[in-house]
Amino acid sequence: MSLLIYGTITSIILALYAAGFSLAYGISGLANFAHGALYILTGYSVWTFLNQIGLPYFLSALLSVIIIGFLGFALYWGLLLRVRGVPLAELIVTFAAGIAILELLMWKGFYGIQYSLPLFVRGGVKLGGVAVDYQRLFVIGTGIVLVVLLYLFVHHTKIGLAFRGMAQNERTALSVGIESDWIGSLSLAAGSALAAVAAVVVLPLGVMESAIGYEVLIYALAVAIIGGLESTPGMILGSFIIGFGQVATAKYLGPKWMIIVPLVAIILVLAVRPSGLFGQFKELEERI
Amino acid sequence: MKKKILFMILTMGMLTCFLLTSALTATAQPPAKPAAAGKPIIIGVPTSLYTPFGRDGLKAVNLAVEEVNAKGGVLVGKEKRPFKVVVTDTRDGEPATPTHDALMAYEKLLLEQKPHAVLIAPFRSEALIASMDLVAKYKVPQIHTIAQTPAFQRQFRTDPEKYKYLFRVTTDATVPGMYISRALDLLKKEFNLENLYILYQDTLWAKAFADVVKKHGQETGWKEVGYDAYAAGASDFSPGLTKAKEGKAQVIAMMWDVPLGAGIFAKQYVAMQVPALLVGFIPPMGSPAAVRAVGPEVEYSITVEFPVGASLPLKKLPKTLEFLDKFKKKYKDLPEPPAVNSSAYDSVFILAQAIERAGTLDADKLVTALEQTDYKGVSGRIRFNKEQHTAIFGDKDPNETGVAVVFQWQKDKAGTLTRVPIYPDFVAEGKVMLPPWMK
Repeated sequence: MSLLIYGTITSIILALYAAGFSLAYGISGLANFAHGALYILTGYSVWTFLNQIGLPYFLSALLSVIIIGFLGFALYWGLLLRVRGVPLAELIVTFAAGIAILELLMWKGFYGIQYSLPLFVRGGVKLGGVAVDYQRLFVIGTGIVLVVLLYLFVHHTKIGLAFRGMAQNERTALSVGIESDWIGSLSLAAGSALAAVAAVVVLPLGVMESAIGYEVLIYALAVAIIGGLESTPGMILGSFIIGFGQVATAKYLGPKWMIIVPLVAIILVLAVRPSGLFGQFKELEERI
Repeated sequence: MKKKILFMILTMGMLTCFLLTSALTATAQPPAKPAAAGKPIIIGVPTSLYTPFGRDGLKAVNLAVEEVNAKGGVLVGKEKRPFKVVVTDTRDGEPATPTHDALMAYEKLLLEQKPHAVLIAPFRSEALIASMDLVAKYKVPQIHTIAQTPAFQRQFRTDPEKYKYLFRVTTDATVPGMYISRALDLLKKEFNLENLYILYQDTLWAKAFADVVKKHGQETGWKEVGYDAYAAGASDFSPGLTKAKEGKAQVIAMMWDVPLGAGIFAKQYVAMQVPALLVGFIPPMGSPAAVRAVGPEVEYSITVEFPVGASLPLKKLPKTLEFLDKFKKKYKDLPEPPAVNSSAYDSVFILAQAIERAGTLDADKLVTALEQTDYKGVSGRIRFNKEQHTAIFGDKDPNETGVAVVFQWQKDKAGTLTRVPIYPDFVAEGKVMLPPWMK
């Protein structure tokens, strides 16, 4: 029972890590390697609003999500626009931006246990005899709500439909009047905001450290590669494969092997199905 | 469009600057400036600055250097010379840093700054062991104060002449292991506890620490529920905590130093409501800021602080009060990690005395003078074991050896959570308590 519950929690946390990365890549083909940095920047932003400025928790979180979303938007117009269409340059630019953010945070002294966000609600409940705290239940709820909202957004709003148009074929989308730069920047903003939402609900589970930015990026990449870079169902499946893989590995082989699960999964998927379990783009290329 | 792009860039820059500068948080301290006249004696500090251990260790060194310089500096032969601290960040405390990178940073400091001696030194035990050949090559006396692996002594004994420039002024991991073993004895004797789960960070020092506790547990009749290593970068401890809970562990002994994992563990332990007493070295649980960071659930957790004076002022050891008072006055807060800060502070005075005894900065003569160290500092009486250049620690008498302390978070009469020393008797201010939910 414990394996089931904590496997699910771990998987949903991974899905939250990867959702923004996968969304931005799926729509605009932009691999945002600053994703992890924006995630941890959100945590420090909430901490700053909460402890230095004295805003209420909810408002601090909301403001941070908006700011990080806007940073993603600005990242596109400020840096990515000039290298758009050159995948390697896009990757280098976002990776460099991410490193700059993480190193700046360290340089400014954002490390140590004082950088810890409070739990939304203290305490917990027992599910099938297994103790689970409210914060983790909140993480599960957020994961489910986000998936539903994302579905509604991309299927029932004008911008969402434009997102799907871009995701399916950028040139055709252009021919029907969808402005690809605006949609690209909005996708990056949405992806960054999703990273921020993940940070708001997950970071109170521990303390903050810049190194989390790298960890989140690695997990997001692992999940996306396993599921298929542009596929939302693939992203969810990838999260559950790694999440349950880690919990089962800890139980049967020992906890110290947990950390290699995503790396082994990446190697296996790349060897057997390079486009990922639900990926389509590469598969089509391979057929041609 | 150009205006739009410019606007976006400016906005992004402004927002980033706002986020990064609005929090007036602690930053790495600049090296202390020499106040005394004379050509400075260069102290190199190559360590992992962006960890609480490196940051607060450097603060302690700078504090001591200021004190020495305020008194005119160090007498080298007939001339008084000030200390000057030069720093490099080895980053070896960060989980993903290769040891090789840490060594490159260290070597750069040795080549460019040409320090007369090195203090604090690498954070991670693996980096310390790897740096031993580097120190031997450049023949610079090094007094290290963080890394805890007993592998240092083993390596030292392979070629004492080659490694003679290296000294350890702090504990090694077997010392806190011994103290936690004594705490287990107390728990067994007072409350008849018997189920023990051990969880440690998969690094040299923590394994050595955990091995001591495991061996002691086996020898004294503890039933081992589990003995698990976690990678230093781990961020989910639910498997171990579940195992402890299902195995009906009454005590969880944990050895960890990476703040990220330790913080997550501390909060996860609270969240999963594991009905076991937490014992060991988990910085967020033992830090003066623990209540703020983890919450009131730190109550009853037991931590070993090694050596004394790292963060906990002890009424019965006035030098710990004095050091921590000065630290708080200068830096507005107590040191964060409950370990090794007092060693960093002591190391400056030990070096100063050795230089004065040697009357020169010649490395070989300084090594001989360091071997003769007999210094009563914050961490107790420091003398080196000449066969392996490690400070001698025990749990009997701070006038004879360096000492550590075991404390427990307990509520005082006003209901405020405080850290109460419970072992050894010569520093104890209270008795170990069992949580009501374990009775």
